[in-house]
Amino acid sequence: MNNAPSRRNFLAAGLALPVAASATHSTGSGQSQSSPPARPSSGAALQYKTLGKTGMKVTTVGMGCMVTSDPTVVTRAADMGINYFDSSRNYQGGQNERMVGTALGAKRKNIFLASKCDRNDGASILAELDTSLKELGTDYLDVWHLHGKSNPAQISDDMVAAQQKAKQQGKVRFIGVSCHQNLPAIVDRVIEAKLDVVQAQYSFAQDATWTPAVEKLAQAGIGVIAMKVMARAGGRGGAAQPKRPANFGASALRWVIKNPSVATTVPSMTDIDQLEENFTAMSGQFGDADAKILSARLEEIRPYYCRTCGQCDGQCPKGLPVPEMVRYVMYADGYGQFPLGRENFQRMAQEHQDVRCGDCAECAVQCPHGVHVAQQLSRAQELFA
Amino acid sequence: MKRLLCSLVFCAFVMAAAYGQAPAAAPSCNMVPGWTQAGEARYYTADNLFEYMDGNSEGYFSYNFQNMHGVTCKKGDNTFVVDISDMGDSDNAYGWFSDTRDMRQPEYPVGMGGQIVPRRLIFAKGKYYLEIAAEPEGDHTPDLKLWAAALAKSVEGSTTPPAAFSWFPKEKQQSLKLAPESVLGLRLLKRGYVAQYDYGKAFVVFEDTPDSAAAVMQKLRERFTDNTAAKLGDEAFQTTDKYLGRLCFIRKGQYIAGYSITVDGMDPAALSAALAAKIR
Repeated sequence: MNNAPSRRNFLAAGLALPVAASATHSTGSGQSQSSPPARPSSGAALQYKTLGKTGMKVTTVGMGCMVTSDPTVVTRAADMGINYFDSSRNYQGGQNERMVGTALGAKRKNIFLASKCDRNDGASILAELDTSLKELGTDYLDVWHLHGKSNPAQISDDMVAAQQKAKQQGKVRFIGVSCHQNLPAIVDRVIEAKLDVVQAQYSFAQDATWTPAVEKLAQAGIGVIAMKVMARAGGRGGAAQPKRPANFGASALRWVIKNPSVATTVPSMTDIDQLEENFTAMSGQFGDADAKILSARLEEIRPYYCRTCGQCDGQCPKGLPVPEMVRYVMYADGYGQFPLGRENFQRMAQEHQDVRCGDCAECAVQCPHGVHVAQQLSRAQELFA
Repeated sequence: MKRLLCSLVFCAFVMAAAYGQAPAAAPSCNMVPGWTQAGEARYYTADNLFEYMDGNSEGYFSYNFQNMHGVTCKKGDNTFVVDISDMGDSDNAYGWFSDTRDMRQPEYPVGMGGQIVPRRLIFAKGKYYLEIAAEPEGDHTPDLKLWAAALAKSVEGSTTPPAAFSWFPKEKQQSLKLAPESVLGLRLLKRGYVAQYDYGKAFVVFEDTPDSAAAVMQKLRERFTDNTAAKLGDEAFQTTDKYLGRLCFIRKGQYIAGYSITVDGMDPAALSAALAAKIR
């Protein structure tokens, strides 16, 4: 059912615009930049870390431009001193890079600019890169990611070779991969492929499963950029979860920043208010109050929040697709979408639909993060079978 | 057999109605002759769209995404990924279209508004946002046009863009889109339309009531303290800002309209007054 890789390829393909002329190759001083330029600050102190072996001194709070509502937010972030900006070829249907490029204008030379490619072969991603450069109005990227890779096979030799070629051509300074799911599975491949950076979903809710992977990357000299630092809790796409408290964002951000293995973060910033909140969070220390907020939040979302760790895969002796079934229950109980839950349940293999968890003396599936698995599976059968 | 089939279709319709849902708008490869389905049909909601397109799903969520039906179709060496998203209402469907279209490319007349580029079709009709991405590289325009017609027929809904789009001057318009939140990058301007011109940026923000719009105007005055009142609409003021330039806010009933980043030689108050006059 999940054709995600295909979707990303095609989305990117559909967005590809003819590149009128090849991006000009610059060997200018911008590419050798390794320390932050002086610029005005809004008062709160800027904090920097080094992004792995790249040598780039990045602000610990960067800017995720994906859903930014207005270019003035990007411009203002650069003026405030934030120096790491993240976009992608496919954001906003392909329009995001142009917005970011226009908003940064001449400030581009003072910041580090990252983007991502979505297709799955070397030649295609190189074509995408040319489009990205054109849309961003620059002749090089500081960081260029393969977008959304969650298993080693997706980081093919062909694509890594293309990334290396772009590096040799001076179109990108450093290469990496972004990962939304299953980070531990790709760590060895990232090291083997000699990538420079990884941008990974990483938040307080993933401490146990992903922190060792993040540390291993950092120890290998690979720069780590954290995204989705708010654990997608209570926001878009997480409607079933309890609404997050107003002071939660800064705590979640500081939790990630305090990890020495993480160089920077790219929280999506919609507006100036959010920018200022995150900017202020950058200079604050993670303290007991933050820990208390996150601990309470973790308890709130625990029964709902699947950390996509994959540890329940294959645990059920009767072969039930556990994470999927938990989700079907959420459709019905969380969203009031009973037909949707049933529809998905009935797409399962008949042998799985026929399983009754009550027949087992005890459940072999234990979620290490406290999602109430056995209860949820029984609930699915009660509702849909 | 025919009776059985009819009964099944009727049951599906009744069940959908019982749950308060219109029959799903799902694409099918046989909508256009010569195409066959590859793989299983897709179905996503706000809970799992992330699995399909990672972070790009955030854009859909901004525009009230409800669910998406999709299918991958093949004809010879060509592959089309066809998706229909239910955005809840026509404002959001057209809003998402307005955000994802490439203003440098011409529109294509389908639904409320559409666009075809060599490897991509997008359009909005009613509450639906429809899209096709084509593979391999090359010009797929003829096939995309056939699909545009077939898909447009398959979904119900308005073919007229939201009225607000007609309020903005067409001349020298570089872009016009629905900002689903934080108009001008200001959180207190929750939702509205924004049009970019070479002489400034026009906006119309929607509030639920005149009272709530008046409250927002008061907060704007508190944010832009160095302001000058203007006798326009129900209330108005002008100000300047480092990032938003010379700007003017006018309240007309539940709407707040105006211009920002107005270039020298253009009067933001006069431009805003003309815009507010168009609001019906």
